[in-house]
Amino acid sequence: MSAAGAHGVAPSWWSPGRLDQRTRIQLVVIAALLAFTLFALPARMSAYWTDVATAVAIFSVVSLGLATLMGRVGLVSLGQISVLALGAWVAARLAFATSLPFPVVLIAAGLITMVLGTLVGLPALRLSGLYLALITLMLAGAIGVVLASTDFPNGAGGFLGHSESSFGNPGVRRPSIATSDSAYFRYTIVVSALMFLLALVHVRAKPGRAWAAIRQSEPAALAAGVNITLYKIWAFALASFMTGVAGGLLAGSVGHLFTTQFPTSQNIVLLAVVLMGGIYSLWGAVVAGMLIKLLPALLDNWGLPADLLTILFGVGVLQVLTTAPAGLVAQVPRDLGRLGSALAGLVRGGRGPEHGAATSEEPAAPAGRERPPPVSQRGAE
Amino acid sequence: MRIKLGLARRRWLVALVTLAAGLSLFVAACGGDDDDNGNFGGGKATVKASKCGDGTGKKATDEPIKLGAIATKQPGTDFSEIPRMAQAYFECVNDNGGIKGRPIQLVIETEQTDPGQIASLAKKLVETEKVLGIVGNTSLIECTVNHKYYEQQGIYMIGSGIAPECYSTSNIAAVNMGPRYSSDGAVQYAIRAGAKKIAFDQSNVPGTEYIEGGPKLVAQDAGVDIETFKDNVPIQDANSVALKLVQSAGQDGAVVLNFTPPEALKILKAAQSQGLQDRVKTWACSTPCNTDFIADALGPQWDGKLGVNAELNLVSADAPDTNLYRQVQKKYAPDIPLGSFSQMGFTEANIATHALLDMKGDYTLESVNEAFEGVKDFKTDILCNPWYFGDAPLHIPNNVDRTVVPKGAVMAQKEGCFPISAVDPAIGQVRKVEKEDPSLIGK
Amino acid sequence: MPSWDEFQPFIVTGLALGGVYALSGVGMVVLYQTTGVLNLAFGAVGAMGALISWQLINEAGWPDWPAYLVCIGFGAVVTLVYGVVFGPPLAGRDPLIKATATLGLALILLGAMSWIWSDKARSLDLPTTQEEAFEVGTIFVNWTQVIALALGVVVTAWTTAFLRFTKLGAAMRALATDREITATLGVPVRRVEASAWLVSGLLSGVSGLLLSNLVGLDATTLTFLVISSLAAALIARLRSLGVTLLAGLAVGVVNALATPINSISEYRDMAPFVLATIALLWLSRRREISFARAGGSL
Repeated sequence: MSAAGAHGVAPSWWSPGRLDQRTRIQLVVIAALLAFTLFALPARMSAYWTDVATAVAIFSVVSLGLATLMGRVGLVSLGQISVLALGAWVAARLAFATSLPFPVVLIAAGLITMVLGTLVGLPALRLSGLYLALITLMLAGAIGVVLASTDFPNGAGGFLGHSESSFGNPGVRRPSIATSDSAYFRYTIVVSALMFLLALVHVRAKPGRAWAAIRQSEPAALAAGVNITLYKIWAFALASFMTGVAGGLLAGSVGHLFTTQFPTSQNIVLLAVVLMGGIYSLWGAVVAGMLIKLLPALLDNWGLPADLLTILFGVGVLQVLTTAPAGLVAQVPRDLGRLGSALAGLVRGGRGPEHGAATSEEPAAPAGRERPPPVSQRGAE
Repeated sequence: MRIKLGLARRRWLVALVTLAAGLSLFVAACGGDDDDNGNFGGGKATVKASKCGDGTGKKATDEPIKLGAIATKQPGTDFSEIPRMAQAYFECVNDNGGIKGRPIQLVIETEQTDPGQIASLAKKLVETEKVLGIVGNTSLIECTVNHKYYEQQGIYMIGSGIAPECYSTSNIAAVNMGPRYSSDGAVQYAIRAGAKKIAFDQSNVPGTEYIEGGPKLVAQDAGVDIETFKDNVPIQDANSVALKLVQSAGQDGAVVLNFTPPEALKILKAAQSQGLQDRVKTWACSTPCNTDFIADALGPQWDGKLGVNAELNLVSADAPDTNLYRQVQKKYAPDIPLGSFSQMGFTEANIATHALLDMKGDYTLESVNEAFEGVKDFKTDILCNPWYFGDAPLHIPNNVDRTVVPKGAVMAQKEGCFPISAVDPAIGQVRKVEKEDPSLIGK
Repeated sequence: MPSWDEFQPFIVTGLALGGVYALSGVGMVVLYQTTGVLNLAFGAVGAMGALISWQLINEAGWPDWPAYLVCIGFGAVVTLVYGVVFGPPLAGRDPLIKATATLGLALILLGAMSWIWSDKARSLDLPTTQEEAFEVGTIFVNWTQVIALALGVVVTAWTTAFLRFTKLGAAMRALATDREITATLGVPVRRVEASAWLVSGLLSGVSGLLLSNLVGLDATTLTFLVISSLAAALIARLRSLGVTLLAGLAVGVVNALATPINSISEYRDMAPFVLATIALLWLSRRREISFARAGGSL
């Protein structure tokens, strides 16, 4: 996938011109990481950590959906976990009721979720900002109540596919090539990488530019001839598709689905980790996935209560919104860079850490209107 | 100017966090969150308490025997005190010679009803922690998610059951009766109390159809009308819920609840604040309501009016195991309240300990689980009938129980041990198993 | 279908429930009208205050009224500190950002509450709940329910009058719309804002006490009650306190009336969400509703 680009062979609809040095390095890094994750990592992980890593990958895709909406288009959806639940529901139903191959189930789940997400998003697109976010929260609440009554498919017949006399059933099936936990982990990584590629393609092509224009100023975009409604719907559709596929992966990973694993409150936690990870970079979604699924496992390993995480996420939200809108993925390298130069300065006997600490505040001070990095730079991330 | 603002803001952030943390610590230090368990009904312990394990009084110091437990712990549902009480019993055993000199170490994992997490925790316990057995599991969905894994690994799990799979699969046996059969018992009590109609309400968590199936059969068999409801938890409109149930039951009917204590309390208090508690013949509740805390929170207006199905004996009973239970709680786990949850944890640990003590040979995953499966005729005054595991496609060893009612801020026994109705097919199946092998219950 | 007789008491419980939604909704809209911030941590602050009161009464043996005052004080202090520290840096941003920031506060409080007070059955017994105030039809209404409803009405009426007819009220409204311009007009911006936050904090403390009695003393319920209360605020498009109050009552009554109807009873918790969605979509059918600020974004 990425290898093709690294050799300088870019499809015509990709960005014009040759890929620059920075992008090439990034692609090599991505390829190396993928290779490591697919081939070297599974052998080193115990069954427990394999499960955790699979969950990280799945939730990275979910975070990617939300980050795309927020970072690229400026729309906040507080209902992505409910969309995930829908995707999982559809995938489970299809997996039980048909003998379609698993990839088809995933795509079908993604497409159906995309349609549902778009239908729901359509009337809401007249709203924006706070209203849109709140209405998505309302819809998430409504879906939660419905799911509590319909439950998830567990192998029975009927439209809802749920029956309480069919307990003891084996759960949602996995793809025939990936039935073991390690194999399923690799499968999940491949599908997740494809989703990230899908997002990347969108960002670097026309939709990405249209979204950037909408984000900067809707009236200006309108004046420039951008079909705002179309591109907003497109963003919703993309986010819903990716989340639906993630739902399918989730269904296959454990096999049994319960309403209790999709509480409405989780929407808020997702928002927090996506903000913390960073909404302007695709890597931010990976960080978000780790925050929401890896950190709890680590805390459990160290014997600390999971409540600490809730507090951490709350602090993280405040921190990101007030001082570091680009999130951890931009903040950490920047801070590390500052630390590095500060240490270098110390060694040279010049200015100390004070300089570093002060300058890291600069983006927030001027009326807090942080602008995201310009279009061309963002595409590369 | 810009730089100064930046530093000031950072200081404020630190100040805010410190303020919040300090306040919380101050409040927590101001007495902490231990419930006062001094009064359990004033029962005097005249009977000598049992011993923890071998009762040698010597600390066990050899290589530990590792066991594992998984419990739900999230806002709204916290079962972690059950394995923690088991751990307390194990600590007592370790202070009394352990298992032939080897202490028992219980690794407790908590989950938040995420099936992925639950499946991975079982693997963590077995494959990473290398536990030899699993004792004390209590979870809304763990049995459903993990029972196949236990069958594959040859693990026989002793726990407190909630999901249907805890009672319908070969490798899991519970010390309690579970919501369905406990609700059966509550309905049986209501019918005996003269109810002509039952309004049955439960929390809308996975498994509602399965749970209400039992009460429906029991009521139909007795010729009593029954209407079933379910409500989302946490309950926000307890007033409406109480009203709806009272209306459905009617003056000659009974309201039967199956909720965790906080939610049941909401409904009962809402009924009281609207003056509804005397509008029905009687109220009944499945076993989670069997805690002195509920009796105390309800107050004297409810004395005798709420029949709680008690899967386990009263915490105030004067009997060997119950007296030991209170001693262990006082010494090793004073922050865990007395009640049916901690009794379950205690009993599970009790069973496991004696199974391990009776074993001969090395302690491996296979031998320990063989010992657990082989438990039969385990007598304890906490349960009505002797407990057993055995080789059967399903296990409901606790199928005989009592009814208790609130009386003066504690729970008191109203009805002695009675069998759960065999109209419920699984119970019927289990009775057949017991009949075919009477040695399981010591007959 | 139940008969009219059977429906009647549900109207009463519906009004009581609606009073809950109305009180929270009004509490949030009041702050929104005066500072432009939708405080989604309103419920969490009240919940923590109520839990602290419980702790003081049940574990540290304090008498009732000082403990209640601590709850109200806690609500005031936390909200005020938050408003003073995080208000100014976010002042020029989109209302969405400001509201999201309050979610951060809600998460911090929720985590702290779950940590300190792990879930157990708790109840805070206000003296007003013990006595049955009067009988409406066949059921009793207690004083706590009356107070909640009355408080909602009083706050609505007073705040509406205050904002419309007093100088300080006008200053607050100006502040909520555009902080920078208001500052140039010589209005002591920080002080006005601080007083708005303080009042909101007091309100959340009082609500926490009342709601812990009306709904139950548990952190998650009280924190996420704001989601249902938001429905009432949304129906009013965050503009009118009076509409928020009425919407809250309406949502409560619809929810309660759906309870005895067996076929839809289990879906009744959807009532706030469905009503809010319908109302918003209906109201926005002609024009776009937004707070879009030029260049303002995440």
